[in-house]
Amino acid sequence: MAKPVQRLYGDERVSEASQPHYFGIRHLSPAGSYHLLALLNAVKPTAILIEGPSDAGDLAAQLTSRGVVPPVALLAYTDQLPVRTLLYPFADYSPEYQALKWAGRNHCHAEFIDLPTSISLALADRRRVPQAEAPSGEEPQLQGGGLYNRIAELSGEPDYEAYWERHFEHHLEPDVYRRSILHYSNEMRSLTEDDELRLAPQESAYNEIRESYMRRKIHEAIMQGHLPEKIVVLSGAHHTSALALSLPSMTDAELAKLPRVSAKMTLMPYSYYKLSSHSGYGAGNQAPAYFELMWRCMQDGELASLPALYLSSVAARMREEGTWRSTASVIEAVRMADALAAMHDGVRPTWRDLRDAATVLFGHGELSVVAEALARTDIGTAIGRLPEGVSQTPVQDDLNRELKRLKLEKYKSLVAADLELDLRENRRVKSEESAYLDLNRSVLLHRLAALGIRFARKQTVRQSDATWAEHWVLQWSPEAEIETVESTLKGETVELATAYVLHEELLACTDIAEAAKLIRRSCECGLPQVMGQATSALQRLAVDAGSFEGIAGTVHELSVMLQYGTIRRVDTEPLVPIMQQLFLRGSLMLQEAAGCNDDAAAGMIEAIHLLNTAAQEHYEQLDAALWVEQLRLLAERDDRNAKLSGYAFSILLERNAAGEDECAKEVARRLSPGIPADIGAGWFEGISMRNRYALLSRSYLWRQLDEYIASLEAEPFKRSLVFLRRAFGSFEPREKAAIAEMMGDLWGVDAESAGARLQQPLNEEEKESLDELNDFDFGDL
Amino acid sequence: MGMDQKQNVLRLSAEKLYAHELEALREADKAAEKPAGWQLSPRAVLTFITGGQAGETVITPKYIGNKRLVEMAIATLLTDRALLLIGEPGTAKSWLSENLTAAIHGDSSKVVQGTAGTSEEHVRYSWNYALLLAQGPSDQALIRSPILRAMEGGGIARFEEISRCASEVQDALISILSEKTISIPELGREVSAERGFSIIATANTRDRGVNEMSAALKRRFNILVLPAPSSIETEIDIVRRRVGEISASYELRASQPDEEAIRKVVTIFRELRSGVTLDGKEKVKSPSGVISTAEAISLLTGSMALAGSFGSGELTDEDVAAGLQGAIVKDDVKDQQVWKEYLDNIMKKRGSSWRSLYSACTEMNG
Repeated sequence: MAKPVQRLYGDERVSEASQPHYFGIRHLSPAGSYHLLALLNAVKPTAILIEGPSDAGDLAAQLTSRGVVPPVALLAYTDQLPVRTLLYPFADYSPEYQALKWAGRNHCHAEFIDLPTSISLALADRRRVPQAEAPSGEEPQLQGGGLYNRIAELSGEPDYEAYWERHFEHHLEPDVYRRSILHYSNEMRSLTEDDELRLAPQESAYNEIRESYMRRKIHEAIMQGHLPEKIVVLSGAHHTSALALSLPSMTDAELAKLPRVSAKMTLMPYSYYKLSSHSGYGAGNQAPAYFELMWRCMQDGELASLPALYLSSVAARMREEGTWRSTASVIEAVRMADALAAMHDGVRPTWRDLRDAATVLFGHGELSVVAEALARTDIGTAIGRLPEGVSQTPVQDDLNRELKRLKLEKYKSLVAADLELDLRENRRVKSEESAYLDLNRSVLLHRLAALGIRFARKQTVRQSDATWAEHWVLQWSPEAEIETVESTLKGETVELATAYVLHEELLACTDIAEAAKLIRRSCECGLPQVMGQATSALQRLAVDAGSFEGIAGTVHELSVMLQYGTIRRVDTEPLVPIMQQLFLRGSLMLQEAAGCNDDAAAGMIEAIHLLNTAAQEHYEQLDAALWVEQLRLLAERDDRNAKLSGYAFSILLERNAAGEDECAKEVARRLSPGIPADIGAGWFEGISMRNRYALLSRSYLWRQLDEYIASLEAEPFKRSLVFLRRAFGSFEPREKAAIAEMMGDLWGVDAESAGARLQQPLNEEEKESLDELNDFDFGDL
Repeated sequence: MGMDQKQNVLRLSAEKLYAHELEALREADKAAEKPAGWQLSPRAVLTFITGGQAGETVITPKYIGNKRLVEMAIATLLTDRALLLIGEPGTAKSWLSENLTAAIHGDSSKVVQGTAGTSEEHVRYSWNYALLLAQGPSDQALIRSPILRAMEGGGIARFEEISRCASEVQDALISILSEKTISIPELGREVSAERGFSIIATANTRDRGVNEMSAALKRRFNILVLPAPSSIETEIDIVRRRVGEISASYELRASQPDEEAIRKVVTIFRELRSGVTLDGKEKVKSPSGVISTAEAISLLTGSMALAGSFGSGELTDEDVAAGLQGAIVKDDVKDQQVWKEYLDNIMKKRGSSWRSLYSACTEMNG
């Protein structure tokens, strides 16, 4: 048989029997695609065998069906816990993708021939285990990092990517790519093989298994009647040399021995952003949009115009952002990039050359000026699309059903829209479904938020008491679609997936405040079962809870739910005993926790406030009497933080648990001469933190304060001044004026003239004496 | 003037200092294609700056740490564009500019020093007034600026500290850079630049805002920002190399500082410069003055001079301390305070290897 065609392209020995055409690639390489198409057009194969999961089946064909817009990805996942995934992303310029498209156009058989994902996922698990045994220190060598850096260094390139692009992506002469990549990867393989066998036997074995399986699949294709010379085998360049049919291929018995897990696969739209941030797979993807531009230029036969196109689009982006860069700068940037390429004997500038030229010419030397424009040109916002009818995951289906049921479909748009929800029952409609429409919508949106699907953002409602009102901003994006597909791993429906996520969080939760939040979230997500689990988790954690502030926060959280839980039609009864238990512990811990320094006091005050509010809201369920008693004790004690004692006393005043006499007595006692200034003033600071009007209306209090200040010596006076100033710092001007007038009355000064005097700016002398206070030595304060 | 006499000048220009390296590069580079007006190929220029081998001769690296930046500088000059090097004081702007010029053009002496007093005549041309009065405008009476001379010879002129000049002087450059001509109306002619003409200017980031460069002028330059040495090892390397070169040319009769002394000085400088200790754990106050790599170099050579002239010839901690005192405490009482705090809070706790330097510094700081 005459074989004129493949002799042109093959470099295999003439004597050997006919062999398939092997084409080694780097994933996501435009030049790889370009040369592959040339080979396919020349060979006109009847079968194309591609490195990829062989169980993809129909999905492989769907990848190139009408309406699919890359980037898209094949996602394989185990359908049992713990979920493991494998991702195979494709851009338009992926050689694998172009091969599939060519096969579709030319009615050629195309097939993935790598291990099925059920096996590779199972093997991935096993490989992970014994990794630790490898001697440390030699690891980086194995990863090839050192080797790649060395290659870049020897070739005088700034990094390996630049080396690769200069030497492989820019050459469009026939067959150059195929031959050089084959030679290159054979050399690389022989350089690293021994090390790999020694340092990472698992990796080495895994590759061996894959290659032997792929050889088996090639044999199968030949058995099916494809002539070897009419078969093109497309694989990562690293594997090409190992796919020769002279090597033994996997037997049935060997195949049967391989471990398996149950796995599923789906298609998902992908984005260039994700492609650029997943550096693990393939290479050449730091700048997906740049490589797409390169691919388009190649197809148009105008690769030479790439630098000009790229740089002018960077300049255009900068202009959009309001930074003007002239066409002359673009021309100079192209010239500089060309000069950089020439210095490396390159045919044309690499991405790195272009970026550097842009930094110099557009950024005036500063990368930060051009960084955003570069990112938008390099990565872009391109997002893949799958048409309806193409394989969808159960969660995608479920979400679409839910959106339809809740009349939210129109919000599935790229334009943000507002949605106001009223969670109360709508009594004017007939069916229960529509009566609680908004409530159900809220549940769905909360679930999506819990799943990390960025479809709806909850806005804070100004009127904080109106718990029946919610304000959402809804905006669909393909990123959200991707996130939806990703949640398939967590459950078959939105509800199940949410339950899974919350349950996982619950298992990891070690803190009562977190547990309480989870109760609230599962309530919002309409998941009573998870709520029950969270409640018992809280119960368990509550036994050991020892932080006063944590307890107060939790009691508050529970109290809010008890008040408003009914609106969500959730049974909150089980929460009551936990709240009682925690409240009791909180009350009893108050004294001990109040023995703290001023830094900790701020958090304590917040906590006391929360507990006090809860005691007032739930006076029927909680032991409010005990709480007041504890507050009284704290207010009377001299050995606790003075600020907290003051604060406790102010609550007593507010609750009318302390009368005028008692107040006068306490003020006199706290502010009596001889009490250290910081303690006296600190106490006053505490008492002034609540209910200012109650303070302002009690003139005896101010008289006491006045007498106290008058009794101080110079040094203690300065000391107390600082504390008092801080205490009054949070008063509003109106309140300050009221105090000033009150003091004026006390001193017998006419209120108006005192007010006027206070409004005058400070003179130099006064300023100086105030400045002196700044230098005042507070010792250990 | 003979060659021997020239060896005795205070500071040799780059093309003299590295004459044998340039010669070796020229020899090795004979066959390579050279851009018009260049004496070396771009690649040989790169080797001259970043180091390597030319035949048998070892080429010492002149600029360490960022090879890509040097490539970008050479690529700029390849495209006939003017180059502007911007950086903090002591980031080797002038050093890079001088060496690039020496390698490409072989003559780094065509320099305009930018000061507040620089006038447009320094940039374009002026007249020998005696001759001008006697003969009227003539070629003999014309005093060419370094830039004009570079244009006529197709060479590279250097413009140091461009941002120190008044803006009208800077503006004079705009037409030169865009038209590549200087017209001399008095003689009724125009000087057009020969191929190979370019300008390498330097500007100091600390001067920003003194005479901010106009957008029009900036557009005519390719601007490169030279970073401060990125790692302590790079900086130590730079300091050691330069100290070695300087002490050889100044014939300082003192032994080279050992690795340990250089490391200490560079550590102190980096910490004071960044305001935080190398391990990132403690904050440090920065002094008011500039704490550049160049300062570290001159500090060490200064200390060597002290040791050589007044001491034993061995660099002692006292010599280094004297240098540190001078470099860090410039004129301010506050600097003295900053230095004292650094000594007591950081250096004192560094253990025995720092002890004697600490005592010497404390004594010096009073």
